[in-house]
Amino acid sequence: MTDDVHRSGRAPAGEGDSPPGPGMSIAARVQPAVDQSFDGDSLYAVRAAVAAHASAAGIPAARIRDVVLAVHELAANAVRHGAGQGRMRLWITGGGIRCEVADAGARPSGSDGDGDGAGPDAGSHDAAPWPVEHGHGLWLVRKVADQASLDTGPSGTVAVIDFRFESVRATS
Amino acid sequence: MPREVGRVTTAGADVQVTELTVDDHACLTFGEPEELFDLTAAFVRDGLAGGLKVVWVTEAGAQRATPELARRGIPVESALADGQLAVAGCEGCLLSGQAFSAGAAMRWLSGQMAASQQDGFGGLRIAMDMNWALRPVSGVEELPEFEEVMAAALAGTTASVLCQYDRERFDPVTLATVAPFHTRSVAAATYYADALLRICRQYAPPGIRVAGEIDYRRQEPLALALAEAIRLDGDITVNLADLTFIDGPCARMILDAARGLATSRSVYVRCHPVITDTFVLLGARDVAGVSLVSADDR
Repeated sequence: MTDDVHRSGRAPAGEGDSPPGPGMSIAARVQPAVDQSFDGDSLYAVRAAVAAHASAAGIPAARIRDVVLAVHELAANAVRHGAGQGRMRLWITGGGIRCEVADAGARPSGSDGDGDGAGPDAGSHDAAPWPVEHGHGLWLVRKVADQASLDTGPSGTVAVIDFRFESVRATS
Repeated sequence: MPREVGRVTTAGADVQVTELTVDDHACLTFGEPEELFDLTAAFVRDGLAGGLKVVWVTEAGAQRATPELARRGIPVESALADGQLAVAGCEGCLLSGQAFSAGAAMRWLSGQMAASQQDGFGGLRIAMDMNWALRPVSGVEELPEFEEVMAAALAGTTASVLCQYDRERFDPVTLATVAPFHTRSVAAATYYADALLRICRQYAPPGIRVAGEIDYRRQEPLALALAEAIRLDGDITVNLADLTFIDGPCARMILDAARGLATSRSVYVRCHPVITDTFVLLGARDVAGVSLVSADDR
């Protein structure tokens, strides 16, 4: 089991390389299928790009909803509680979808939604009562993603989520 | 197109469809079929409840129109059976052999007014789909004349007519030409509308309708729409049938609105499975008073 949440202060990843992390066989420096900057006015474009690429990869509609919802919530967090703008990159490989949402804003402790400290497997409890206000987005992310990690520190925040699919058509 | 946050617009309308009176000659503008069927269902429902004869002349045809009314809680079968409700195509009412004549259409209208009196109804309500005028129908240039003569014929009677114009398809000149002949303009109360999202009131069954994509940035108009719906009596329908994305904060806002209702009231959230799943993730199945209804159920 990978530690779900880190606070190591890792900066957003550099140009062209894939986010490091165990669990998926994405080679280093694979070009992403999507590399898109966003702010509050362009979240719909992030959703549209993710949905289009997931659909083209042959992912079932219900899981496309999961991917779109997770990426949206991460991007919305970057807009609302981070730098106000960020960068979304998405890789499609034979093993699934990996998405990285990065922004230059650090999250004060507790405001990034990690109030309950729950890992990806801790999301099986009922939604009520609501977790802390900002936590719901990340709670949803952990609920739908196969793996989720969040690195945040003074130089920025990077969230990486993985969705595994058996029969994805690699587009990158 | 209205684009407002924090207050309600009705696309230039001056009344709600539920506020029409006995001799109104009203001009309804709508933007999509769901809005047309909703507003018409409210017009029909209130007419039937008031003991009036109700006629809907529609391009959709009875086969599509009557199930749309039934789905919105109108007692279609019984009203059709006892003659209080009639649903007809334009041919034979407004058109003859795909030709329009203001005189012939007025004769049909006068006949309907006389027949409703003879049959003992307290009045007559006619909803008139004007989409026929978008087709290459001969005599369509007599449409403004028809609207003008009809306005005079209805004044002081117990007959009202709701002319239905698709604001996306009729050109502004035509709409501007016929508008002055109407005593009222009617449209759905709209809380927000742009290319991605539309939030408006739903009239039959009462509630709100949200179409397109919604996220936290539009929480304010969603909150206003929900607050106004809650002020109505009885159950509330949140119609999300044409919604393709909802984020956590907006889904939670809808569930929170339901949580705040009295236990005697229910919120029916009507949506497709992809939207349903988001509500289920948030625990909607365990929120008392919330029912998730499949939008595929017709």
